[in-house]
Amino acid sequence: MSTPKLALVDLTKRYQPGLAPAVDHLNMEVEEGHLVALLGPSGCGKTTTLRMVAGLMDPTAGRIVVDGEDITSIPVHRRGMGMVFQSYALFPHMNVAANVAFGLRMRRLPKSERLERVRRALDMVQLGYLAERETKALSGGQQQRIALARALVVEPTLLLLDEPLSNLDAKLRESMRGEIRAIQQRTGATTLFVTHDQDEALDMADRIAVMNGGLIEQFGEPSEVYERPRTRFVAEFIGRANLLDATVVADRGPSGADERRYDVQVPGFGAVGAVGAPGLTGATRTMLVRPHRVQVHCDPGASGSPGTVESVSYTGDSVGYRVRVGDRAQLAEAPTDGRIAAPGDVVRLDWDPASAYLLPEEEER
Amino acid sequence: MTTPPNRFRRRVPVSAVALRVLVALLYVFLLAPLVIIVVISFSSNQYLSFPPTGFSLRWYAELPAETTFIQGMQTTLITASITTLIVLLIGVPASIALARYEVPGRGAISAFFLSPLLVPSVVLALGLVLTLGPLGLTNTYQGIVIGHVSITLPYVIRTTLMSLTTADTSSEEAARVLGANGWAVFRLITLPIIRPGVIAGGIVAFVVSFDEAVISLFVAESGKPTLPVQILRYVADSADAAVAALSVVLILFSVVIVVLVERVMGLRRTLI
Repeated sequence: MSTPKLALVDLTKRYQPGLAPAVDHLNMEVEEGHLVALLGPSGCGKTTTLRMVAGLMDPTAGRIVVDGEDITSIPVHRRGMGMVFQSYALFPHMNVAANVAFGLRMRRLPKSERLERVRRALDMVQLGYLAERETKALSGGQQQRIALARALVVEPTLLLLDEPLSNLDAKLRESMRGEIRAIQQRTGATTLFVTHDQDEALDMADRIAVMNGGLIEQFGEPSEVYERPRTRFVAEFIGRANLLDATVVADRGPSGADERRYDVQVPGFGAVGAVGAPGLTGATRTMLVRPHRVQVHCDPGASGSPGTVESVSYTGDSVGYRVRVGDRAQLAEAPTDGRIAAPGDVVRLDWDPASAYLLPEEEER
Repeated sequence: MTTPPNRFRRRVPVSAVALRVLVALLYVFLLAPLVIIVVISFSSNQYLSFPPTGFSLRWYAELPAETTFIQGMQTTLITASITTLIVLLIGVPASIALARYEVPGRGAISAFFLSPLLVPSVVLALGLVLTLGPLGLTNTYQGIVIGHVSITLPYVIRTTLMSLTTADTSSEEAARVLGANGWAVFRLITLPIIRPGVIAGGIVAFVVSFDEAVISLFVAESGKPTLPVQILRYVADSADAAVAALSVVLILFSVVIVVLVERVMGLRRTLI
């Protein structure tokens, strides 16, 4: 990889000596033009990380490098970032055009150029007709797009988004996802996106950094993070997960590029198949099976492990089951076109061995 | 015969009527002195007495010739204006420091700035005389201004702090990210957002300084008597109704200011 657009080197923030750091020796590299989601539960340090990159907060230790240049000690107003805040933070005493023009005004651009760029930025978010409006009268979605235009009009070195969708209602959030992503790709702005919503991260990001306790648990493409989580935390935080204790019995040959197929022994399920990294024979591992990969057979003669349906939730797109197998409940998600089991029914569960994944051994922290 | 549905009939309970009567009586009680002063100011009586025996505008006509009042008014306007200016120059930055920066001992500092509200002004006035005397500042504009700044500062800090704490700080952060340095953020973002609080604080400071008698009396009675001091003296010496006419002028003045404050940000938010 050539010089990354942004590199965080051992970035650390400790709010108070003695307390656990909010961000703990975080290392990350972001490629030019990528949208990277910082994803994690509240208090995982994602917003702190974003604020340090913006310059709104000083790191306790570590460096922030943009285009190969250390910007850690450059004050916020000379970093040339663009940021969208959770509350949008539009200037209440300025109209829409003045809000968008603010960054250009600070850069002392001539008025004609300012007007032209404001016009183009507002057209980009399709709100040119609101230029002379006061910001207070705008809807949440409009405010959000004005905030995006205001951040992008300065052609920022990095676009920083702090939970930009969390104040919108569900429908609007979905459509804004696509819109933000499209604008980001069109402008090619390298973007850091803080969110606690895994769907948002999976949908929008080129790379996801899953954060927990001030550390990055995993940094990778959305499909990689979803299909091949490195830790239990990642497996549970991204999507829903069945996590089973598996004892690896035998190696059954290669599966894909650098994984092996194994026979494993799982309490309640007996002998089943799974895939994982090489050299796991004889080891005990956590096995991940996503609920929608679990097949639910209502026919008593079918293959698979028997279990009792505890609850059924019908969402229209699919049916969710809680099925008790042995002493633990497992989740399954089935299409709605087959027979739908009722609570109390005995069903059989199985899955394609390729969709059961043995997590790598967790590092001690 | 059709009877109107019961639910459309309004019933006013006795307790509500009683409450309204009580409120009305309270207003009469509070406003009666003002009404009496207004009436006296238009009377032809020689002395401050009630009820009047005839109507006359002579007391208003005499006002401009009353040099003690004119001089007092002048002193008061000068000291109140300078006080307001100084108190804003100290109070606004102090509020910003308290609201936006990690100041060690923030709580103690806030308490200190707000404490003059709690100290009886007689005590404060006595302390000021004892302090300003040796410095040669008694009976000067400076002396009055120093005293008034100390009692009006809490109002400015309170109203400004309230505006600052209710404002969303992220718009200041947004401005910084967009390239505004500290001064530009203050001038272009913070100040416009907190302006109602600052103006209200300034107006209250002006009114308090304008109206203040105790400190002015102690600090500068003989040298630079302010209007309230002049009124006190005037009523002590003579009892004609000119002072009532002056009072009416001051009432009008206050009304104008109250309307101003109300327009700017609402009186309730300012004073509570």
